[in-house]
Amino acid sequence: MDGVHDMGGMHGFGAVVTPGSDEAYHERWEPRVFALSTLVGIERLGQGSGRAIREEMEPAHYLAASYYERWLWSIERRLERKGTIAPGDVDRWVERLSAGEAAPPHADAAQAARAVETIGRTDELGPARETRFAVGSRVRVLRMRPAGHTRCPRYVRGAEGVVEALRGTDRFPDIGPYEGPPEPVYSVAFASDDLFGASEEGRWRVLLDLFESYLEAA
Amino acid sequence: MTQEHDHDHEHHQPQPQPEVALRTEALEALLAERGLVSSNAIDAVVELYENDVGPQNGARVVAHAWADPAYRTRLLGNGTPAVYELGFSGFELNTLVAVENTPAVHNVVVCTLCSCYPWPLLGLPPSWYKSPPYRARAVAEPRAVLREFGLELDSNVEIRVWDSTAEVRYLVVPERPAGTDGWPEEELARLVTRDSMVGTGRALEPSELAGR
Repeated sequence: MDGVHDMGGMHGFGAVVTPGSDEAYHERWEPRVFALSTLVGIERLGQGSGRAIREEMEPAHYLAASYYERWLWSIERRLERKGTIAPGDVDRWVERLSAGEAAPPHADAAQAARAVETIGRTDELGPARETRFAVGSRVRVLRMRPAGHTRCPRYVRGAEGVVEALRGTDRFPDIGPYEGPPEPVYSVAFASDDLFGASEEGRWRVLLDLFESYLEAA
Repeated sequence: MTQEHDHDHEHHQPQPQPEVALRTEALEALLAERGLVSSNAIDAVVELYENDVGPQNGARVVAHAWADPAYRTRLLGNGTPAVYELGFSGFELNTLVAVENTPAVHNVVVCTLCSCYPWPLLGLPPSWYKSPPYRARAVAEPRAVLREFGLELDSNVEIRVWDSTAEVRYLVVPERPAGTDGWPEEELARLVTRDSMVGTGRALEPSELAGR
């Protein structure tokens, strides 16, 4: 969807390097949210893609929220959509903790071992088979305005580029996030002036990994 | 950084978020109460990324590629099996593409749509990598962004910005610093910074190692 998460080329966000920007996180709850998100996935407690769900946040909320705050929001939505928790369940525990109640202990060493083992697994793209475009082909990114999840950023739509490599085959992410039919993924190189016009920086190249359905022959 | 810049950036300082911390604790309590997620599993995942998974892994890969030309060829040809040779695999490694910086070409990696990053090699990304300014500007004004990191590239250097839009992850192999011939890999690895493997920095010079 064409939300505020699709930031490539936007103005107004200020400096990249700022105090604290070198750290992965700043408070103890942040890596715990990361771990919770990972475990909800491994234990199949949620439904949907956290990445796609975060894009559904109301734009002002998305921009105001800190990074792992967005993750926490998406974990709750995943758990609710699966029916693992109901809306209000977390709020009730906020009240109980605020009233001084202690969190209940729950130990499960097997779950910890299972998590560490699963995190070590790599999920590579499948091999590429029949492809519409060859390395060196000129392609154009389709104009589109997808209502759901997409991995085709706005700033490349309508632009022409050159296929530099074939990455493999993966599930098309736009049809029910990451549930579409497998299709080829290409590395496509764009000249900066074809994306952003003339720049005082001169020229550079921007390369994206794009699904075949995003492309047409140029 | 100048005084003026410090002032400009004050509002970007991370602020404590007690309400979100409490909500995280509440979600942990809820899932513990239902017997679904254990505190020791959460601890195990946190500790894994704090102790075992981080840029020290990517640095080993780069140092090995610097020291062994045959390995360098394998890494640049097909990254995923090449890093598996050194024992590295896992979530968000996916299909790994290693790209090499040279005097003529400078590669830099971004994810404009979210925060895709090769966790098994670099750990969890720094805040700037996930931030709106980096996601917005890296593709559209890379030289200005690199300048913020203290990296001023000659105008004849070709910049290639890789936007991680699919399940492909990127590792930049920085240029090997001069004066390191014959160094053992463990020493070479100390020169390889996280930022040099994202492309927002260079590897350290031998003279910069003192005091680190």
